[in-house]
Amino acid sequence: MNVDHHGTFQRMIDESLAGMLSAEKEQSLRAHLSTCAACEEYLSATNRVIAGLSGFSFEVNPALNAGVLAAIRLQAEEARGILAYHTGTMRQSSVPFRNWAAFAGALWLSFVGSELVYQMAGRLAVPMQIVSAQLRAGVVVFWLLPSLCAALCLLAAPGQKRGLA
Amino acid sequence: MGSETQRIALGLRQRDVVVLEGLVEQYQYRLVRYLVSLLGRRDGVDDFVQETWLRVLERGGSYDGQSRFEPWLFRVARNIALDAIRKRPMFSLDSIEGNGVRSSPASGEPSPYTLAARTQDAERLAHSLQTLEPVCREALVLRFQEDLSLQEISGIVGAPVSTVASRIYRGLATLRPQFEGETA
Repeated sequence: MNVDHHGTFQRMIDESLAGMLSAEKEQSLRAHLSTCAACEEYLSATNRVIAGLSGFSFEVNPALNAGVLAAIRLQAEEARGILAYHTGTMRQSSVPFRNWAAFAGALWLSFVGSELVYQMAGRLAVPMQIVSAQLRAGVVVFWLLPSLCAALCLLAAPGQKRGLA
Repeated sequence: MGSETQRIALGLRQRDVVVLEGLVEQYQYRLVRYLVSLLGRRDGVDDFVQETWLRVLERGGSYDGQSRFEPWLFRVARNIALDAIRKRPMFSLDSIEGNGVRSSPASGEPSPYTLAARTQDAERLAHSLQTLEPVCREALVLRFQEDLSLQEISGIVGAPVSTVASRIYRGLATLRPQFEGETA
């Protein structure tokens, strides 16, 4: 049996140990090993290398485990704290339903009230000799705009409270 | 494997500290062993171990639970170690990336393999392992100690399966002469 032939089977031994050999070739390798002392010795030496790799035992410092666990807990708590802060901020910054309802009511009153004021001022405009355009501008500037601003303040109310807290 | 890996993936997604503590207990030794094989030294490994677990906590959501946990963990550890090596002159990047330079412990310190050898065969291998190309040593440890498949190792080291296989053959070829010509 020539050296090349052994080389082929020894290569197959390496492939088998690495997990790359097909079942068919495994069978052929096993048949060869039962009759070839050189390749059997090659396999034995290789198996001793692999077994030797298991003969190392690295010491793990017990303080390492404790340190890792402490660092994990700390980081997890920090992460939870950040999450809670952001959730709280979102919760605080979101406008409650009752503010939206008040805003809608205030908006409705602004327009309805402005219309009523406009009608009333129209009736008073003739005896008081006021021009219609001036009357319209007066209602917008002194009634409608202030009431709209007041309605918007209802939405800003929660933020103001947080700022003072 | 499926339900266990899914449980781990869920725990990591939820940043469940109890799950993570269980993983630390279960994989700590193997992580240390892998990092020693990667770096060829014991000092500095503890820092990488700690950083690895913190990274697992931080980015554990990217583990999908479809495959084994160990390859994912080792890949995280490897990336951290390589990033650190790129920044620290005390380690040589070449030593890990296989350009021929060997890693070695700081001068005067005994090799981690000499210190960790518990059997006669291990003692005989200690020196050769220390001077072995780091990529070959890493491949040997992942294949024969961690029992990972070539595909899994390929995923960890970011090299084709054929390259991983060739590193294993090269590593075995370097260590085998220690035992040739003897009966077991």
